[in-house]
Amino acid sequence: MTVIEVRQLAKSFLIPSAKRETLREHALHFFRRRSFERLDVLRSVSFEVAAGETIGIMGRNGSGKSTLLKILCGIYRPDSGSLHVRAPITPILELGLGWNPELDGVDNVMLIGTAMGMSLRQARESLDEILAFAGLERFAGMPLKHYSSGMAARLAYSVAFKAVRDILVLDEIFAVGDQAFRARCEAKYRELSARGHTVVLVSHDLRIVSTFCDRALLLDCGTIATVGSGEEVAEEYRRRLSAV
Amino acid sequence: MSEAATPMVSRIDVRGMLWTLVRTDFKSRYHGTLGGFVWALLKPALMFVVLMSVFSLIFASTPHYRLNLIVGLFLWDFFGESTRTGLTSLQVKGFLLTKARFPSWILVVASLSNACITLSVFAVTFLVYLAAIGRAPGAAGVAFFLLYLALFFLIVAGFSLASSVLFLRYRDLNQVWEVVTQAGFFIAPIIYPLDIIPERYHIYLYLWPPTPVIQFSRTVLVDGGFPTLKAHVLLVVAAAAVFAAGAAIFRAYSSDAAENL
Repeated sequence: MTVIEVRQLAKSFLIPSAKRETLREHALHFFRRRSFERLDVLRSVSFEVAAGETIGIMGRNGSGKSTLLKILCGIYRPDSGSLHVRAPITPILELGLGWNPELDGVDNVMLIGTAMGMSLRQARESLDEILAFAGLERFAGMPLKHYSSGMAARLAYSVAFKAVRDILVLDEIFAVGDQAFRARCEAKYRELSARGHTVVLVSHDLRIVSTFCDRALLLDCGTIATVGSGEEVAEEYRRRLSAV
Repeated sequence: MSEAATPMVSRIDVRGMLWTLVRTDFKSRYHGTLGGFVWALLKPALMFVVLMSVFSLIFASTPHYRLNLIVGLFLWDFFGESTRTGLTSLQVKGFLLTKARFPSWILVVASLSNACITLSVFAVTFLVYLAAIGRAPGAAGVAFFLLYLALFFLIVAGFSLASSVLFLRYRDLNQVWEVVTQAGFFIAPIIYPLDIIPERYHIYLYLWPPTPVIQFSRTVLVDGGFPTLKAHVLLVVAAAAVFAAGAAIFRAYSSDAAENL
């Protein structure tokens, strides 16, 4: 069964040459034509993901990977093309950054857990497990602003792993935390995959993509340059990088 | 245009998330201490005592005016604070919008909680005070007052829904809104009695939503009367219209909120 079906998806962002962000600017320059620079981040991207499959997305910075993930998760809207996602999706995006720094670990778990679709009771019941997975039991009552960035990211991943429903979307996972935490993440990923979860993961790590992904696609300037097995795409990505 | 662009998302426990947002907001505001909680309750109550003492010196001979002034000031304070926090609610909680997909109106509604707590404490304090000086309104009066508060919440929610998404596009909206509320303080008959304005202009003052709420609340709490049925119908319709307009603007603009952060 196909759980994600993407057809000719396109997304561009308008970068105004003179940005108007305020009512004052809109009023002052009402009669002046606005000029924009169009940045086509994704142009006609099509692919499918089958249930239970792990698909990797590779590409250099600015190739549209994160935008694609955000569209899959419903955070950005595509400009054109169609997108069908037939199972609940749990995103793990930019997780190391910008939680509520004033709140302690426990409250951040509750906040992001409920935002990711856990019920309040589930979040409460899995609190100990989440903190244990992150290895942060001792720091549960400490405000997040005193955490190191690695600690904050570990907490975030632990919540998301617990909140996962069906499809898991991972942005640069396995890139955070120390060796031990990464090993736990990999084990967790294997467990989820074995239970039949579909996984979409973005990574620059050749080893991750070639070991974990059934299939992968390489994005280049907003289009799919290569589709193939994890190893093939990782190899192609390595070749392109060394060609530069 | 894109078709079926809304992916399925995990169902959200709306009440759980709302409660978590309200609780953590409260906690970071008052640092989660017992003293903090007492302070949250004490602030409006103390404010009431201060205003009452000052006004009993200045307006000693006009107790009606004094009570009316206090009702007006507190209701206005609710309007000012809640619309201010509502306006920035999406921007302040942007870190959630870019990480997960959930109905974003939850953020707007949760941002109104602190103003609601303050208003509730005031309402209780004021009713207790009225009872203490032997002017307690009847059960019907209290019920009507609660109805006005509920409608006021609806109005404020409408304003906040609209302004929260518009603020992401027009980053000086908060400055504009500050000026509007500054002027609005004088458009609503808070420090002056409505009677000093010629009757034919009243209709215009009533177009500013806080005016009817303040006037009706004074009627049931201070004067011991009731506004007419027609006046009630108009208020309900106005509150529903403001809320519907706010919700429509929110619906139109909220889907790309994460892109405008």
